[in-house]
Amino acid sequence: MIDRRLFLMSAAALALGAIPPAAGAIEPDAAKTFINSLANDAIQLMARKDLPGPERTQKFRELFKRGFDVTAIGRFVLGRYWRDATEAERAEYLKLFEDLIVATYAGRFSDYSGETLTVLEGRPEEDRFLLVMSQINRSGGNPPIRIDWRIADSQGNPKIVDVVVEGVSMSITQRSEFASVIQRGGGKVQGLIVALRDKTKSLQTR
Amino acid sequence: MVRARPSVSALAASLLAAAILTGCASMNDEARDPLEPLNRHIFAVNQAVDVVIVRPLAVTYRDLVPDPIKTAVNNFLNYLKSPVILANDLMQGEWKRAGETVERFVNNTMTLGLADIAAPRVPFHDEDFGQTLAVWGAGDGPYLVLPLIGPSNPRDALGIVVDWFIDPVYWTARNNRWDGLTYGRTAARVITARVDTLKITDDLERTSLDYYAALRDIYRQRRNDEIRNRATGPTPRAAAGEEKALVREEQAPPVATN
Repeated sequence: MIDRRLFLMSAAALALGAIPPAAGAIEPDAAKTFINSLANDAIQLMARKDLPGPERTQKFRELFKRGFDVTAIGRFVLGRYWRDATEAERAEYLKLFEDLIVATYAGRFSDYSGETLTVLEGRPEEDRFLLVMSQINRSGGNPPIRIDWRIADSQGNPKIVDVVVEGVSMSITQRSEFASVIQRGGGKVQGLIVALRDKTKSLQTR
Repeated sequence: MVRARPSVSALAASLLAAAILTGCASMNDEARDPLEPLNRHIFAVNQAVDVVIVRPLAVTYRDLVPDPIKTAVNNFLNYLKSPVILANDLMQGEWKRAGETVERFVNNTMTLGLADIAAPRVPFHDEDFGQTLAVWGAGDGPYLVLPLIGPSNPRDALGIVVDWFIDPVYWTARNNRWDGLTYGRTAARVITARVDTLKITDDLERTSLDYYAALRDIYRQRRNDEIRNRATGPTPRAAAGEEKALVREEQAPPVATN
């Protein structure tokens, strides 16, 4: 995989006489395959209703970490407050952020009812990203839901850095939500950490 | 509803004026919500109205009304909105979409608008004057939470008023004193719109840290998506120029800050 990409990159560099931009590294087809395989794993996991809650959540956490660049998303979502945060705060924030996403999606997955994902098209975006467009097909004549996956290269592996549902970016929404929590808590990252702690606790005990 | 009209537009106009007057002071704020304390207050009142009246009605409607009737209601509401959609298609210079709106209207008239027989060939699309203003280059301005209506901004609030006044269905009902049509239609629009968002808002309310802030951002992003006519990518016209710059900056690689 890496060899092939290196080969392609050097071939492109030779052809153009220049070094290609970094995200040319992920090919659209590879990104589509990546999303397809993640979706299949997620659907298999969701369909296993027999799995006890904690085990299910653990399996989902592994899947999530395999597919998403949690650290990059967490930093992006914290925005300019990342710089203000101490090392300890950053570490706790990233852990809580992961817990929040896992708890949020574990809840959403529990009312899975046979939806499927169709990957439509992958295209490069702003030199750095690859956008994979897809739709969730629903039953009962409901119109499909449009989902775009923004993918970046993370140390040679494709990782999701944003999910855009019907034009709404999850990362951007969460970023402005977190900024609001911090501002209302007196501009301290600690305020967000406390709120995250409470929220993940309430979601996990539900 | 006939009598209520002037007061709604007066309300919108005064909110608009208030927003413009107070808005300029702190527009550099990322949230672009200079009226946040007032907005949060109205939001809380809206939430209370929702919990007590709108949400229970929507849940009852969703659970008790048979699916074919719900589909017919949705189709009929879309059908009645055709003239407003067409006017906005034309004002935006979207000739092809305008043609689609006409074709859908003519086709569906055969079912009195109750069935969407045009959909397989020409799917429904929505338009409103807020989007037309955006296409003409108007920015959205500061965030506004309107009483009873909810998330909005000066551009979209004005859009609601204009759409109401250019709607021949409204004027026909008014001239013929068919108050029932206007009341019934408004109620049906509120309930069906609420049904559509039930799952999303329930989930968001449960999982968000700041429901108000999350909805504020989602409203803006959704509107921009509608203005782009659901095409993926940056907003094509000057409409959302400001927003585009913002999003581009925000979409810089997540690893940038340290």
